[in-house]
Amino acid sequence: MKLGRRALLGGALAAGAVSSIQACRGVPRWERRAVRQTPRSRVAILPAPAYDDSLVEVMLRGLRLFTLPLLGKRIVLKPNFVEHDPNGVVNTHPTLVAAAIEAFRRLGASQIIVAEGPGHYRDTEHLLTATGLHAVLREHRTRYVDLNNDDVRALPLASHYTPLDRLYLPETLLSADLLVSMPKLKTHHWAGVTLSLKNMFGCIPGAIYGWPKNVLHWAGIHESIVDINSTLPVPRFAIVDGLVGMEGNGPIQGEAKRCGALLFGDDLVAVDATAARLMTIDPHGIRYLTEAGRFLGHVHEERIEQLGAPIEQLRKDFRVLPKFQALKRFA
Amino acid sequence: MMRFRDALVDSQNPDGGWGAQMGRASSTEVTALATLALGRLDLPDARSSAAHGVRWLIARQRDDGAWPVNARVDEASWSTALVVLTLDALGRDPAAAVRGARWLVRRTPRTLGLTVSLLHRAAPDRLAVRLNPDLKGWAWTSDATSFVEPTSYALFALKRLGRQLPGSAVAERIDEAERMLYDRMCRAGGWNYGNSTVLEADLWPYPDVTALTLLALVAHRERDANQRSLDALRKAMHSLRSGLALAWTTLCFAAYGEDVSTPQTRLIERYAATGFLGETKAVALAVLALSHGAEVFLG
Repeated sequence: MKLGRRALLGGALAAGAVSSIQACRGVPRWERRAVRQTPRSRVAILPAPAYDDSLVEVMLRGLRLFTLPLLGKRIVLKPNFVEHDPNGVVNTHPTLVAAAIEAFRRLGASQIIVAEGPGHYRDTEHLLTATGLHAVLREHRTRYVDLNNDDVRALPLASHYTPLDRLYLPETLLSADLLVSMPKLKTHHWAGVTLSLKNMFGCIPGAIYGWPKNVLHWAGIHESIVDINSTLPVPRFAIVDGLVGMEGNGPIQGEAKRCGALLFGDDLVAVDATAARLMTIDPHGIRYLTEAGRFLGHVHEERIEQLGAPIEQLRKDFRVLPKFQALKRFA
Repeated sequence: MMRFRDALVDSQNPDGGWGAQMGRASSTEVTALATLALGRLDLPDARSSAAHGVRWLIARQRDDGAWPVNARVDEASWSTALVVLTLDALGRDPAAAVRGARWLVRRTPRTLGLTVSLLHRAAPDRLAVRLNPDLKGWAWTSDATSFVEPTSYALFALKRLGRQLPGSAVAERIDEAERMLYDRMCRAGGWNYGNSTVLEADLWPYPDVTALTLLALVAHRERDANQRSLDALRKAMHSLRSGLALAWTTLCFAAYGEDVSTPQTRLIERYAATGFLGETKAVALAVLALSHGAEVFLG
């Protein structure tokens, strides 16, 4: 209970405040151009036991389940590299990034860029080399773009959950034919879970919004997640690194949790809802997912066609902080 | 040293500024640091390049005295402190530097609010993030709270120019900002972006931020907090893997009278091995680190 109270105040400290989502529930707060929801969505869960060369084949199988126009296209992979902890499982595994590069190349992509705007760490050279990502990029002759310092363009928001009126977004993302969110399967001490939608915080340039993207925390973490994802005007896909996830005090200081799965999908809301179910977490209890489920994609299971392995086969019981215990009730 | 200087001169954009990497749009932060690094060298091509950089900076000062982060974002920014530092250190356009310093003095961060402030006084252990919310430094943006790096940059600038500004406001801001930095120090010494403990878990320091914050607090070098942080930096030396961290560490060690031969050697080796992954800012800081640049930060 002590931690619960503390966490509550932490929400105020980190997010700054009162939820505009709850205050305005029922009132549509998105523009027509923001709507991405289709009648049904598809999400694939494929078993993936180890971070090794076999991931390329799993990656190819997963991508081929979807109709992705990749031939001659420019693909931007956006993994989650927050900061380096030699003993932790904070980041998307570099071997998975390597497998994605290889798979997209084999499927005909003409250009692949790996891009990230780390939320805490400004020392990109240290982060890339210490995590092993630089070695992967060199081996696969793939360019990296630091989104924190990329050239930017201001775009008006396509939804209005935050008080912001526009977002400065990196040109590297805006010129992509497909933006692939590649998060780690993690719990999050402010948002509940951090998956493919929350991973887009890393698209926001730190040079303008600061580290740790503090303006977005003040605008509301849940609200910002929805506004960022509704405003990014590029096609998206998600590949979630669920081989080894993080439970407890994520996204930095939680413990490793083996799950042995990769998730794929072109509806990021449905992918995240499925990933939450895989963690034995109720997606309907995650505020940003519930709201995104109104126009960006699907949260309800009956609207999501499940491909690959059934959730029950790979489901793991991810521990959450006491304040998120309600998210476990549905299990 | 010549290799770094040549790389810096060669990476200058035609408009006179520098981007985060060669060919990227000019950034105020990188342009300020590159201009500062080259402008201190007694070499014609470096001076010429720096003069072009100064013109880029001067042309982008806003009416309120601040600088934006780049030419595409018309909002006052944290980069202002680095431009003020650069102009003053090079003795260029003092009026512009003073206007920038005045803006820094006026610029206050967002506060965490009365409730959090009262709670901190009554029951600080109930706060999710361990910090004193009443202490103000500088923020990255106008809508955010104080963080370590922009506060350190502002201290660099105001400790140089403060004496040119009338009144006691400057001294008060400096004093409070220094207390804020000590408040944000990690338990074992050193600093990260600005949170030392979250949900009872201690966070670890970052070497680059630790080094630059120690530079900002060098006037208090004898304090236990400084010495503990310096020790944390010494212990982290073997694991430094970037031009940015090695350059800031060299500058910090020089300011604290430490032997700089090891970080300097590793800085040169690192550049030969990785080219700092093309990061212009790290090259600029390396030029400073290899040319007795610590004096710039000593106020």
